[in-house]
Amino acid sequence: MHELAVAEQLLKLVEEEAQRAGARRVVAVHLVLGEHSHIAEEALRFHFERLTSQGSPAEGAQLRVRREPMRFRCLECDADYAPPAGDWRCPRCGEVGKLLDPGDELRVESLEVEMANTAYEEEEEEKEKEGGRGWPGET
Amino acid sequence: MAGRNVKLLRVERSALADNDAVARALRRRFREAGVFVVNVIAAPGAGKTSLIVRTIEHLRGWARVGVLEGDIVGNLDAQRVLAAGAYDAVQINTGGQCHLDASMVEQALSRLLLEELDLLFIENVGNLICPTHWVLGEDLTVCLVSAAEGHDKPRKYPEVFAKSDAIVLNKIDLMELSGFDRSEFVRHIRALTEAPLFELSCRTGEGMAGWTEWLWARVRRPVGPMPMG
Ligand SMILES: Nc1nc2c(ncn2[C@@H]2O[C@H](COP(=O)(O)OP(=O)(O)O)[C@@H](O)[C@H]2O)c(=O)[nH]1
Ligand SMILES: [Mg+2]
Ligand SMILES: [Zn+2]
Repeated sequence: MHELAVAEQLLKLVEEEAQRAGARRVVAVHLVLGEHSHIAEEALRFHFERLTSQGSPAEGAQLRVRREPMRFRCLECDADYAPPAGDWRCPRCGEVGKLLDPGDELRVESLEVEMANTAYEEEEEEKEKEGGRGWPGET
Repeated sequence: MAGRNVKLLRVERSALADNDAVARALRRRFREAGVFVVNVIAAPGAGKTSLIVRTIEHLRGWARVGVLEGDIVGNLDAQRVLAAGAYDAVQINTGGQCHLDASMVEQALSRLLLEELDLLFIENVGNLICPTHWVLGEDLTVCLVSAAEGHDKPRKYPEVFAKSDAIVLNKIDLMELSGFDRSEFVRHIRALTEAPLFELSCRTGEGMAGWTEWLWARVRRPVGPMPMG
């Protein structure tokens, strides 16, 4: 299947986002995989780990996967439901509803990243510099 | 000194954002060249090449049709569409990859007379699963299934049907022979999508006119009315 190709794309996105945010390291990737995305989670992890093992800011990052189901809406009952595989009937009335969400997403929700410096640390550094120049108003 | 400074970054982007970006660039290129692009997705043997061949025959003398033939290996299909009257055809061998991606299409364009075409078919690699995630800058995605494959395909591979702009049921000449339950098929298709369904046979030619007329209206080339035949 195509987990290698997906892992390559995923890594590009993760590195791009991390760089844009000025992050030093990616700690975790929160990923949504629809139940119909046809992605084998283990294969994806394997390829992602292998691709990041040779020096990437995402090296060692955890892949946190949330699975999302396919969802239907029953117009009769005015209710949403997530049917078991292959049987799309509404659990209440038995009619087949209308598709709301095919559950085939491959989406990066968020990243946990380690930043180079905290704003607090920067402030402290600033103060130290200022301190070196003496108290304000003294000159 | 200071502990790890971990921050949560909201991303909310498709994991295939990179392919999506290449596809957007392709789309602009197709627009500028004035070419209407159709991505054909189906299982091996469903009749992708046959549908393209038949469509080319119907549009002969009206439209210059090009084809990008995605396949794991070989160039048989490119030869078939050229013999049928395709204006140009390029074979893309994916070397084992189960789908075409936008960069493969981009590379293939250097070998195709894109500017001279009206319509471009991209025959994706025979597979109902993987190609659905990889957009190619197409105007239309067409999902093709054959009656010989059985009526349960929408239930097994709902995402490709849900994503397609048109669904073609091919080999209706084999419907009875295959025990194909048409109402079961249509019921599940309709749960997934309102996209038009064309029931046809590339062998007998039955139903081809409806499909070609619909496609022609979408292509909207200002060259005249739909050719008959
Ligand atoms: N009986 C019948 N056979 C068909 C029809 N359309 C295609 N075929 C046959 O199905 C086989 C596979 O067709 P092809 O177009 O190569 O499928 P592809 O792999 O999806 O490109 C070929 O032997 C075709 O002649 C049809 O409508 N009826
Ligand atoms: Mg073919
Ligand atoms: Zn109901």
